[in-house]
Amino acid sequence: MHHANHFYGHAHILAEYCGLDREHPPRINGYLQHGWNVVDGLGAGTPYVPGRPIFVWSEQTRRRAWSMGRRQATVVGAPFLYLLTMRPEPVNSEPREGTIFYPFHGWEGQHIAGDHQRQVEEIMETEQGPVTFCLYWHEYRNDKVRADYERYGRVICHGYRGFQWRDTDIDFLDNQLAELRKHKRVASNRLSSAVFHGVAAGCEPAVYGDPMHLDQEDLPTADRVRRSWPELHGKHVDLPAARASALYELGAGYLASPSELRAMLGWTGYYTADPAESEDERTEVSA
Amino acid sequence: MPSFTEDRPRAGGALFAYLAGRVPAGAEVLIAGPHTDELIDAVAAHATVTCLVRSEPEANELDARGVTVLCGTLPKLEIAERYDVVVALDGLARLCSVEETQLDWNESLRALKRVLRPGGTLLLAVENELGVHRLVDPTTTTSAEIDSAWLPLGEFDTKPGNPTRLAGRLSAEGLAIDWLGAAWPVPEAPTLIATPNALQDGPADALAAVAAGAVGQAYADKPVLSDPRRLATAAVRGGLGPEFAAAWLVVAHRAPRPSAAIALPPVLAGDGPVVELAPGPDGAWMRRVLQEAPDRDLAVLNGPLPAGRLLEELLLAASLRHDLPILRRLLSGWNASQPTATADNVVVHNDTYAVLDPSVPAQTDVIRRFAQTLLSGGYAHPWPAATDLQTLTSVLHGAAGMPDDVPAVPAEDLPLPDSRREHEEQLRALRRQVADASSRAQWYERELNKRDKELRRSREKIALFSGTVTYRAAKIGLAAARKARNRLRKGLQ
Repeated sequence: MHHANHFYGHAHILAEYCGLDREHPPRINGYLQHGWNVVDGLGAGTPYVPGRPIFVWSEQTRRRAWSMGRRQATVVGAPFLYLLTMRPEPVNSEPREGTIFYPFHGWEGQHIAGDHQRQVEEIMETEQGPVTFCLYWHEYRNDKVRADYERYGRVICHGYRGFQWRDTDIDFLDNQLAELRKHKRVASNRLSSAVFHGVAAGCEPAVYGDPMHLDQEDLPTADRVRRSWPELHGKHVDLPAARASALYELGAGYLASPSELRAMLGWTGYYTADPAESEDERTEVSA
Repeated sequence: MPSFTEDRPRAGGALFAYLAGRVPAGAEVLIAGPHTDELIDAVAAHATVTCLVRSEPEANELDARGVTVLCGTLPKLEIAERYDVVVALDGLARLCSVEETQLDWNESLRALKRVLRPGGTLLLAVENELGVHRLVDPTTTTSAEIDSAWLPLGEFDTKPGNPTRLAGRLSAEGLAIDWLGAAWPVPEAPTLIATPNALQDGPADALAAVAAGAVGQAYADKPVLSDPRRLATAAVRGGLGPEFAAAWLVVAHRAPRPSAAIALPPVLAGDGPVVELAPGPDGAWMRRVLQEAPDRDLAVLNGPLPAGRLLEELLLAASLRHDLPILRRLLSGWNASQPTATADNVVVHNDTYAVLDPSVPAQTDVIRRFAQTLLSGGYAHPWPAATDLQTLTSVLHGAAGMPDDVPAVPAEDLPLPDSRREHEEQLRALRRQVADASSRAQWYERELNKRDKELRRSREKIALFSGTVTYRAAKIGLAAARKARNRLRKGLQ
């Protein structure tokens, strides 16, 4: 329906979960929430077509969507949780160490204002072990930005989320999961999908530092996020509370079975693919 | 009344016949008002019966069957203290003919009491003007046009409006209540009668489920304002069972207390067979078949009454709350343990799924039937975009842990409940769907235009490139290569 359904390979993960062709997911009959947000689940500027469902991550988002006039929201849970069901943590994995830090990014059209240097210093003061900086793709492609971070630690990018169904890195979330599982902590200067994903992948979350507001950003919303999710903000959080809150936001407990999901997404009756390729056949992209 | 025949159903049914059949053996009984032949026969089996009717054709029929008949009107019943029992299970509204005095409820009661011997028993039914049967009735009693409605009083009648006031009125006439029951689903032929105590302290959820079943059966295919099953269960569960029952039944006696009082259980149910529900010695509610019915195996009903709330109600509540985890658990549990019972015949207690009425034959497509309940009832549910039965059934199958490929909905499907409110909701849903579909069509057109433009640009580019020397050279080269390959293939063969 909308190209945002393919962002981060979300549609591909759901297709794999449903036993369908991961490389060529069928068209989703509606809109899939592509990132955590505090509105109705749809991204800004999504041209919503009436009568089509919005597939949101959590029941709270569904209630919010309803109150905003979106009558057709259905809770499915975050695609990242579906990925986790298919990629159990290897038993003999390397011990986790250090922190993966996601400096807040805007999307392609936005530019952030803030003191990057001060931010990095605060990170290095706070974090005990090595720090991996995960940059958004357009920052990662900027040699200057990358070099700035490389002075302090490893710098990675999970891939390109895709646009208009083109160039989507369908391994984006697989890459992210692999990276998160290498780290003890996940941190950011803003509460975002990455932090939630990190918690689901077993990391201890932290949100601190200059939130680096965007030009013309709605500041009350940003403040509301801090007020409404205090358990996820801070350099060292109360882990059980943070974990429960993050999993709720991702819609844990709400995941549909493959057959229910197929029926919801309009995929019933599609060709069922061979079992998806196994874990060890995947190539890991770390930088 | 020489040329008049009662035009509304006579009081009867299995439970009324059972009640009337409890009169003491050898008693002199007056059956006042129109009652079914089965009921009259049940009394006549062991007592002496006289019938009081106002329709002459009906009086003749009774006479032909050998029943003693008084044909006329209640004010003219002049004999006093004549009967051991008066049965007035049709109420007091059809005892006066058009001629002469029209007695109101109190006067009718007084007239009936007068014919009772001291210690005599009165079996009386009183219709509840605010009963569920009235609340869902699309017709208006006060503007009735049938022949018998020469005084269409409806709620303007003077009869008592609740069981307490009924007891008060009876007491004022010197009648003491031995037993009182709230009757569902319709006054003329109840299939569930429960005492206020049973409704208050008994298994409310199971009784609500039985009430829903009784109401559902009575109103299958009948036009109603809204689904009476929901009103019935809400009333019974909410402790308002007697207030919303279709009628109240009393067994009352005139002083002194009769030697052979009619003993009745706290709950009677049945539409052919008669079943009693009563607490056992340990307090657990038991079900016992009192009266068998031909062609039905009822032995399965004897034993403990399954506890718990009706699955259909739980599913609807979870749907309204958008509680997907609970909804999935209920659907899977249902599918795993009672896959051939409809949701309105399963009760759930602590993850135990029991069939409420095991004498009902096995059913198929039970999940689709629930999907139909959701859609036709206009209930909010977690899959609002699944607006057609096939898709919603498929989703529910998936949620129940079954394959999502479901057979096509048969063309001759179950009839929808003929409820005005639900029709209204369906109309609203269809309007919304049409509006959505047209804006979607516009969106597709815009998308198509965009793609057409892209395609045109690409074609122009292709045309532009096809004209270049490089392209031509490549084309000639490719043709030569193809020829060479073909020649080579021929040579190899």
